[in-house]
This record gives sequence, structure tokens and C-alpha cells, in this order.
Amino acid sequence: MKKTLSILVVLCLLLSVFAGCSSGGNGGSSEPKWLKMAVSFMYPSLDVHKDYNGWYTSIYGISETLFRVDDDMSIKPLLATENYIVSDDGLTWTFELADAKFSNGNPVTAEMVVRNLQRLAEVNERFAYLKEFTLIAADDKYFSITTKDIYPTLLTDLTSPEMGIMDLDATEDFDNAPVCTGPFVVKSMVPEETVEVERNTAYWNGDVKLEGATFIYLADDEAKLNAMQAGDVYAYNSVTAAAKAIYEADPKTYNLTVIPATRLQFYVLNKNNLSDNVRAAINLTVDNDKIAEYLGGTVSAAVGPFNPAAPYGQVTKPAVDTVKAKELIEADGYTMGDDGFYQKDGKTLEVRIHYYKARSLDSIAVLMQEQLQDIGIKATPIAVEDADSTYAATGDYDIALYCMIADKAGDPYFAINSLFREASRWAKAGFANDECEALINELEFETDVAKRAELANRIVQMVIDDNAFGFVGLFNKTTVTSHGVTGVAENCPFDFYGIDADTDMN
Amino acid sequence: MGKYIGKRMIHLVWIMFAVSFLTFLLMYLSPGDAAMKKLYAQGVEVSEEVLEATRKSMGLDRPFLVQYGDWALKALRFDLGTSFRDNTPVSAKILKGLRYTSVLTLSSLILSLLISLPLALITALKKDTLLDDIVRFFSFIGNSLPNFLISVLLMYFLCVKAKLLPVVADKSFRGLIMPCTALSIPLTGRFIRQFRAEILEQLSKPFITGAQTRGVKKRYILGNVLHNSAIPILTIVGLSVGTLLGGSVVIETIFRWPGLGKMAMDAITYRDYPVIQGFVLFTSTVYVVINLVTDISYRIVDPRLREQ
Repeated sequence: MKKTLSILVVLCLLLSVFAGCSSGGNGGSSEPKWLKMAVSFMYPSLDVHKDYNGWYTSIYGISETLFRVDDDMSIKPLLATENYIVSDDGLTWTFELADAKFSNGNPVTAEMVVRNLQRLAEVNERFAYLKEFTLIAADDKYFSITTKDIYPTLLTDLTSPEMGIMDLDATEDFDNAPVCTGPFVVKSMVPEETVEVERNTAYWNGDVKLEGATFIYLADDEAKLNAMQAGDVYAYNSVTAAAKAIYEADPKTYNLTVIPATRLQFYVLNKNNLSDNVRAAINLTVDNDKIAEYLGGTVSAAVGPFNPAAPYGQVTKPAVDTVKAKELIEADGYTMGDDGFYQKDGKTLEVRIHYYKARSLDSIAVLMQEQLQDIGIKATPIAVEDADSTYAATGDYDIALYCMIADKAGDPYFAINSLFREASRWAKAGFANDECEALINELEFETDVAKRAELANRIVQMVIDDNAFGFVGLFNKTTVTSHGVTGVAENCPFDFYGIDADTDMN
Repeated sequence: MGKYIGKRMIHLVWIMFAVSFLTFLLMYLSPGDAAMKKLYAQGVEVSEEVLEATRKSMGLDRPFLVQYGDWALKALRFDLGTSFRDNTPVSAKILKGLRYTSVLTLSSLILSLLISLPLALITALKKDTLLDDIVRFFSFIGNSLPNFLISVLLMYFLCVKAKLLPVVADKSFRGLIMPCTALSIPLTGRFIRQFRAEILEQLSKPFITGAQTRGVKKRYILGNVLHNSAIPILTIVGLSVGTLLGGSVVIETIFRWPGLGKMAMDAITYRDYPVIQGFVLFTSTVYVVINLVTDISYRIVDPRLREQ
């Protein structure tokens, strides 16, 4: 009995020690304003120019670019001013710099900006095209970029987070402690575990509300949910449908923000394997609203590749109509077989839906299978581990599901160029249209924003009308916060923004 | 003994060559490469030119045998190369992962043995009693539960509900409690069942019945039973150590424990060939050495084997 009692006492003591040590803090008013945020991805380096590190240094509030994209997708000046001039021939852009300073107090000079762009071109293959531009620093405040051809998306490019500006002379350790201009500076970094940032006391663009923030790499969705519920983190985005339902049930503790974002789920219909009528029937059958409903509010049903609120997202598509879909198939000579599937010449109408298991494409493949089978098209989902090196590269599919960022920074050209060009990898599916190619060429060099939107709408409408693609959904950006956290880019559709000077906790 | 160890070491060289070659070949043949993974990481489309230029800069455009030969020659000089992902030397990555995996492995193993050995012995001695049924039931449940479920349940009850431990733990003792417990639960369940079966087998041997009828004291009988069960138990433990040292991907990912399993999984995801190759060399060496150590321990435990 004595033994049992003493064991119980020891256990109680141990529990009380653990309880005493548990964090569980909720950021009371006397505590410093220090945000703890979970992130689903973390690069092992903070070198702004390499790989996609710049996305994360931007999220951490460390680096800033010459221009930024606002929540309404408009481009706003940041390290540069709005006083940029484009030469009459449209080739030379002259930029004026704002009175920005690095965290060490050094001013941001035109020469440093030019050197940054040159370094980016050297260390990041995706920006090697910058080598073809002529970059000249006129004096401390002004620099120019001269392109070989008219380049209307230059401002969009300059918002890319990889174009963040570092003090190349003062930075001793690019991987762990880049010297930048953002409202926060690196305090500590454990690669692929945590990044701690603290207030940049010399921030050039106003007062910084937070004292600092810790970004915690949590890849597992359940771990993020548990960490949020335990009070170990106060915010994260990419909330799953299951976690969203839990947060929605407790609105006093959690604040959920859901906005349509820029990641597009779409499918390509292979014209080489599927007739015009069958492709049209498929597009008349796939019910994006039902798919979005099934995915629990994590996506918004799409019409085209872009946010319908954007000026270049003004396209239409026919409503779901399975009766008409069946008529189209039957007009192609198919008759309904005893097994419930259409047949022609003894052959069942069958399509293969290729997909990879990410971004809910697996669910979409199964939902599409169900919907197509309901009207008599036998559909077989085929999963691959890596789409880029298999069906996307070879063109061997009937229907290819894919997910990509369609809108990089408030301009339609990137997605249109990637998807609908004759040289695009998706062109293997047979979509080639001289008129469309001519319009894309026009879009490439068009400088008027309204005209660009009009061209983009015409191109996308052409693709929709040809039933070459099906645009299923646009991923919503779903952010959950607690502890009165605001300003973690929850209203911004882009993935590469996070905390800034206005991020706060109450 | 020395000759025996030398022979096994020669086998190790062949095993390492075969395993590294096969792994390299499989990676080469599998769809996707490090350049693709790097460029498409954030869902941004890139042109074919950019992809080719990146492949070239990473040396992935060279023929298979050239790539393997280059790697193998460096490996012979104990240079495992650098990670495609973060340019860290592979050996440094493995050492870091090994440090954390060893701590997790050892602590889980000790905890599991401390619980399972006495329970296996008691349940074997009290076979078919209520206690035996209860322990067997829970060991069956523990053994059946998948790691991720155990981890999530532990997190929910200990961190979210009881708030005894943080979900986001550091690498201190407190941070070790959850992954160690999550790893120990199925291990303990398995050990109890396997150890119990071994002990029961020994208890049913005629010499035990003879000893019991002769009135030999129970503790002497138990000593003999444990001694005779030692070889199969050592085999079970040895094999478990080998598996555990390979890392537990699920537990390491959920609890952010930067061990070898997570490192290997990340390397496979990003097609980080140098890291995968380094990991394969390391694990094959560990398996051979653990098996060797287990075989040597047999010879220590059972003197009859030394003469074979």
C-alpha cells in the first residue's frame, strides 16, 4: 500500500512539473507581441535569390521588392516609387527608388538594386532571362532596365519575391542572415525547423507593430490543427476542410478567412483521342459546383483560369447539362449498351483520367469518374507519382488533371503562355489554333492594361469554346488566426506574402 | 572470431556496391528528377529551356554510368557529395540525422524493453489468467495501431486536452517524450507478444517439467528460461534496432524530429540523389553491423556456437 501511494505521489509530482512547464500561453496583454505561425513548407536557406527562398523571406517579413501586388491584385510601388518612365519605343524603363534603407541603416541605392538583379540572373535559372536586359544605375536614386523587345510584364516580374533586394556588401551569410529592407530581421534559423525574426528597429517604412515572430515548420495537417488548438501557434494558412469545420464551430477562439486565390485545378482534354462532341459532353457533365462543395470550401468553382473578379477573368462557360451531353455523344454514333456505357462498333466509350495525388486532384478524379459514368462514359482514374515527368511530358492521356499557380502577380500572360501556346507542353493534347496564337503574341507585347484583359478574355474564351481544357476550381486561401492576430496576408490571394509592419496581435 | 568478422566485412563491401548501384539505377529510371522537383516545387510552370539549363547545372544531363561512376569514385574517397537541396555535405546531414535517430531509438528501445520484458515474463507465468488476457489485449491493440494514429491521439490528449506537453516541442528531454512514447507503444506491444511466446516455449520444455518435479527453486528455473530465451529475444531486438535506426518517417515528420527517416523521405521527395545514396550506404552498413553484432552476441550467450 505504501509503495502504491509513493508511486502515485511521484506520478502526481511529475505531472505537475510537466503542467508547470507547458507553454499554453495565450499572449496576454502584458506579454510581448510575438507571433507564432505554422508554415507548411520551409526552405533550408534564406538566400532571397536562390530557388523559391524569396517567397519565404517575404512571408517572414525579411525581404521586400521594388513593387508589390496588393490584395486587390493591383501593382503598388514599394522600394521603388510610382514615378517610373517608359521610353517612347517601350524598351527602356527608368525607375526612381524610394528613400528605403536596409536594416543596417545603409540606403538602398540604384547600384545595389542593379547588382541584386544581376546576381538573381546568375543564381536562379528561372530568372536567367534578366541577363538579356541592360541594367544601368544612373545615380543613387535612378536606374534603368532596357529590354530587347517590348516587355509589358516587367512590373509584374519586379513583384516576384525572388527579386527581393539584399545588401550584398553587408551580408556575410546569405543562407542564414541576409541583410534586407523588410520590417523584420533574422534572429535565428534552424534549417527546416524554425525561423525567428525580430523587429527591424531601423525600418524605413513606418512603425512595426509586432516585436517578432517565430515560424514553425509543420508539414503534417493534424499537427498544425493540434498546435493551433493547444495554443502553440496562433496562425497558419492552407487549412484543410476537416480542420476548417472544427475552427468554424468555435468562432470565439478562431478567426477564419477564406478568399479565392490563384492556384488553379484544371484538366486538359486530349483532342487526339477524344472527338469534339465527346469533349463537349465531358465539359457539360463535370459539375464544378458539386466538386467545390465536396471539397468542403477549400476551393471555389472556376469558370476560367483566373479569379472571376479580375478584369481578365471575364469568361463564360455553358451550364452543366447532362441531357445535352448525352445528345452530343449519341450524335457521334454511340448507343447506350447493356452495361450502362455508350458503345460504338462494339467498343465502349472509355476515358482515362490521369492525375497525381496532391492538391485534391485525387478527389477530383474520383468525382469526375462518378459524374462521367452517370451519363454513360466509362472513366478510369490513373494515378502517377509525378505528373511532370509522365503524362504532362508525354501527352499520353485522355484527360489530364493538373494544378498550378495561374496568376503569379496580377497579370494573365504567365498562365496563358504556359498553357495555351503551341510550344506549351499541354499542346501535345492537340490544342493548336492560329488565331489564338496570334492573340497570345499580341498579348505578349500589349502594354495597355485594359487591352491586355480584353485579349486574355478572348483567348481563354476561345479555349473554353473549343473544349480543349476544363477549369475546375481555384484554391481558396484559408487562413486561421487566434489571439487577435491580424495582418498575416489573410486577404491577399498570393502565397508569398506573410507578415509585415501592420501585422498585429491584440 | 577475427576471421569470421573479416569475412563479414568483405561481404559488406559487395552489399554496399550492389545496393548503391541498384538504388542509383532505380532513381535514374523513376519518373522525375531533382531539377524538376526544384523548379516545380511551388506549382509554377517553367519553360523547357529553364528545365534543361537547371539539369545541366546539376549534372543531371550526363549518362547514367557517368553519374554513378562519378558518385562511386567520390564515395570511395569517403566523399558522399553535397545535397542538391541545401548544398550541405551529405555526411554532415547523415550525422545530424543519426544523432537524433539514435536518441529516439535508444530511448524507445529502453522504454519498450523495461515494460515488455517483465510483462512478457509475468503473462507467460500467469498464462490464461485475467492479467494475461488484459496484457495480451492491450499489446494486440498497441501493435495494431498505426504510428500516425498513435501520434495524433497522444498529441490530442496530452497536448491539446491535458496541456501537459507542447505540440511544437524542441529537441530537449520534454520534446523527446512524445515521439519516444509514440514509437514505444507498438514496439512494446510487439515485444510483449514475441517475448511471451518465446518464454512459453521454454517453459513447456521437458527439462523445465523435470526441474519442477525435482523441486528446483523457481528463480533458478526462471533464470534458465530467460537464458535459453535470450537468443531469439536478442534477434528480435537486433532486428528492431536496425529498423529503428533507419528512422521512423511518420513520427519524425509529425513531431518535427529531425532524424534519418525524415531526412530520407525528404530526399526521396526531392530526388536528392546524393542524400539518398548516402542514406542507403549508411543503412546497409548498419544492417550488416547489427546482424554481425547479434551473431557475435549469440556466441557469447551460447558457448556451443563458438566451436562451429
